[in-house]
Amino acid sequence: MSAPGGGRAPRTPPFPAPRGAALLTRSPPRPFLLRWPGLLLAALLVLAWRLVGGDLGALFSNEARGALADFARGFFPPAHRPEFLAFLLRPLAETVAIAFLGLSLAAALALPLSFLAVSPEVLATRGVPPGPSRRAAYLGARAALNLMRSVPELVWALVFVRALGLGPAAGVLAIGVGYAGVLGKVFAEIFESAPRAPARALAAAGAPPLRAFAFAIVPPSSPLLLSYALYRFDCALRASAVLGLVGAGGMGTQLELSIKMLAYDEVATMVIALFVLVAGVDLLSQLARRRIRESSGLFPVGLAALRARGAVLLALGGAAAGSALLLDLPLRELLSPATLRAVGQLARASWPPDLAPAFLRELAPAVAETLAVSLLGTAIASVLGLALAWPAAQRLHAPEGGRVRGAALAAVAWIARGASNLGRTLPELLWALLLVFAVGLGPFAGALALGIHTAGVLGRLYAEALEELPLGPADALRVAGASGAAVSAFAVLPQVFPQLVAYTLYRWEVNIRASAVLGVVGAGGLGKLLYVSLNLFHHHDTLTLVAVVVALVTAVDLLSGALRRSILEGPAQSRRPAAGPVPALLDAW
Amino acid sequence: MHRHVRRLFRTLALAALLPSAAAAAELRVSAIPDEAPTELQRKFTPLGAYLHDATGLDVKFVPVTDYAATVEGLAAGKLDLVWYGGFTFVQARRRTGNAIPLVQREEDARFHSKFIVPAGSRAKTLADLKGASFAFGSVSSTSGHLMPRYHLLQNGIDPDRDFARVAFSGAHDVTAKWVEAGKVDAGALNESVWEKLLEEKKIDPARVRVLWTTPDFHDYNWTVRGDLDPKLVEKLRAAFLALDPTKPAHKAILDLQRAKRFIPTAPENYQAIEKAARSAGLIKD
Repeated sequence: MSAPGGGRAPRTPPFPAPRGAALLTRSPPRPFLLRWPGLLLAALLVLAWRLVGGDLGALFSNEARGALADFARGFFPPAHRPEFLAFLLRPLAETVAIAFLGLSLAAALALPLSFLAVSPEVLATRGVPPGPSRRAAYLGARAALNLMRSVPELVWALVFVRALGLGPAAGVLAIGVGYAGVLGKVFAEIFESAPRAPARALAAAGAPPLRAFAFAIVPPSSPLLLSYALYRFDCALRASAVLGLVGAGGMGTQLELSIKMLAYDEVATMVIALFVLVAGVDLLSQLARRRIRESSGLFPVGLAALRARGAVLLALGGAAAGSALLLDLPLRELLSPATLRAVGQLARASWPPDLAPAFLRELAPAVAETLAVSLLGTAIASVLGLALAWPAAQRLHAPEGGRVRGAALAAVAWIARGASNLGRTLPELLWALLLVFAVGLGPFAGALALGIHTAGVLGRLYAEALEELPLGPADALRVAGASGAAVSAFAVLPQVFPQLVAYTLYRWEVNIRASAVLGVVGAGGLGKLLYVSLNLFHHHDTLTLVAVVVALVTAVDLLSGALRRSILEGPAQSRRPAAGPVPALLDAW
Repeated sequence: MHRHVRRLFRTLALAALLPSAAAAAELRVSAIPDEAPTELQRKFTPLGAYLHDATGLDVKFVPVTDYAATVEGLAAGKLDLVWYGGFTFVQARRRTGNAIPLVQREEDARFHSKFIVPAGSRAKTLADLKGASFAFGSVSSTSGHLMPRYHLLQNGIDPDRDFARVAFSGAHDVTAKWVEAGKVDAGALNESVWEKLLEEKKIDPARVRVLWTTPDFHDYNWTVRGDLDPKLVEKLRAAFLALDPTKPAHKAILDLQRAKRFIPTAPENYQAIEKAARSAGLIKD
């Protein structure tokens, strides 16, 4: 009947309108590229292209094709004179030895720092709330770890070579200090994410805080600690192959020489050797990590486990001693008073940093160039990486179509994975050395080098993300009759996009470190200024340059971290593919 | 069981810490890496044998990949006798205060750098190089960087502003290769290495030509560290000065070193180099 109260009241429905109705009245959201972040990114990339002197003409010129042909011809056949192969054995062994000793040093330095760098809330569960001195130690440890991480390994190597002279000692210390920063941060995060109930129980039972920590938090974390250290070993191997470029031992010296003398057959042999080495180490590390996952924790149970543990320790000790002998590097010299004095002398000679306006004016374009190289390189890599990952993620492609199609798909996947591997194996610096001959000296070669190397890395990461994708939406669309392209564009890409962006942002952090040093081989940016200042013993300039590199890297890290958090913690909660046991393994190389 | 494992491990660790066998009295020699290491080794081998006979010491050639490392090596006492360029000698003298230059080649009293361009280049004078891409040798090289830069500045060209791109090839033979292959528009290198590359047909004169030659300057010498035993210093100096081109064995050594003979030298000879370095901005006080 008529509404109470008389008059014509507005007709509201007796129940809320269905949500679909409200949605239909709103305009659909604009695609990412047309919203302001996408436009800003596009503008930055155009600016970066101009800054590095990007020139598509140079990329497709006769010279570039000639250089590429020269490089490819080196593989047919690679240098295989017996004297050359025998000559290579020692640098290869040196590379492995430097990586091994360097990583061991890094772990030894990282462990105490990571204890200090565990956050105060976790410390509180040990039974005693942390006092001000403990908090100060926490902040100091975190700052030290960040500093060690922010200086690229090559810069550490350049500085240690200047302080200690040429040779593997500088390389081992460079990897040791640089990776201690990386390992320390991840170790601290592992300790923080361990379950705290056992520590609380021990503390309640009266155990002193340190013992509660040692027996309740360290044992469950130790497989993860070992696993991560092993995971980093092949990064260390690649870093050590490059350190020879600045005289810190290993294969880099010979590689640089062969590239500079345009002896591409020798380069091919060394690339193959490096490839085999990295693949072998990768395999061993995977096996070891699987054994660690299945093992029973810190304390061995039973005599057999004890014997196995003892054998592993012996092997490690033997490897360390063997590496030291091979490198002609008495272990005690590494952290001896003479070494510390030499480093101290260099530090004293570098203070105060050079802040003359003329020098700072030289710095500004170099900083812009470095940033531009990193942006452009990462962007190129993400496009190339997606192109490589798509065929390699075989799960995505419709299984029907017969054996021929299946075989063709498998072959394309194999080629794509191979290309990713090639891009990944050769460090950015070596790609840059090769590319300066193709497209000319300068930052464009640097950006391309970064792009190719990172495309190899992102190709693998993207492929993993694509393979772990839940296929429900894709199958639903396919069953409904959508074409392959539509399935990709509307089902696969939107689901996996946040993860891909997160990986890309993470690689940008790695790339800014790489672009800071590419100038050492003529590819522009801050690296060239650093190379000149170190060679001319202009130590005050060196300090300024290192400080600028640290500031740049820290700024990029913070920006990238903030962007990643806002993307991953956005509405994409349910879409994230299952991460590994340690969230920090997003730090995937 | 655990105890045995631990003991074994500790022994191995100690073994690794033992110092390597103490070196017998040894003369550690090095040279700035201005050419490929195999070439440096080849040039040095007969000279090393000769010095071993003259001094009775084990002569060991320590290759380095970095000019600045030779300076640091002498300063840290890790090298005894080093073949330096003019500028690296000045750097070593400033670092140590007492490095002693022993001898130089006769031709080193009047040394030159050559500016080279690809044969097809249209440049006729230094000024035509503005806007080009340019390759120096190593950052610390006298004939590959310092003197070319100094003379460019004297001729009104600032390498950091007037060249499109500047690269450091690291060695003279690499500079020549890059110019020959057209990877850079021009380069500067050491005249002695240039002539050797032409003689040994490692560079094709039809593809590279010389644009300009610098005025002469002092370059290269054999230097010992200042705290070396003075008797040994005298023996070394005498040994070099005794090399006689009329004796075939000595001639072989001198030819590899590309010297007619060795003559004494003194620190004053390099003051002009130091002044040039200061004016070119390579030495900042």
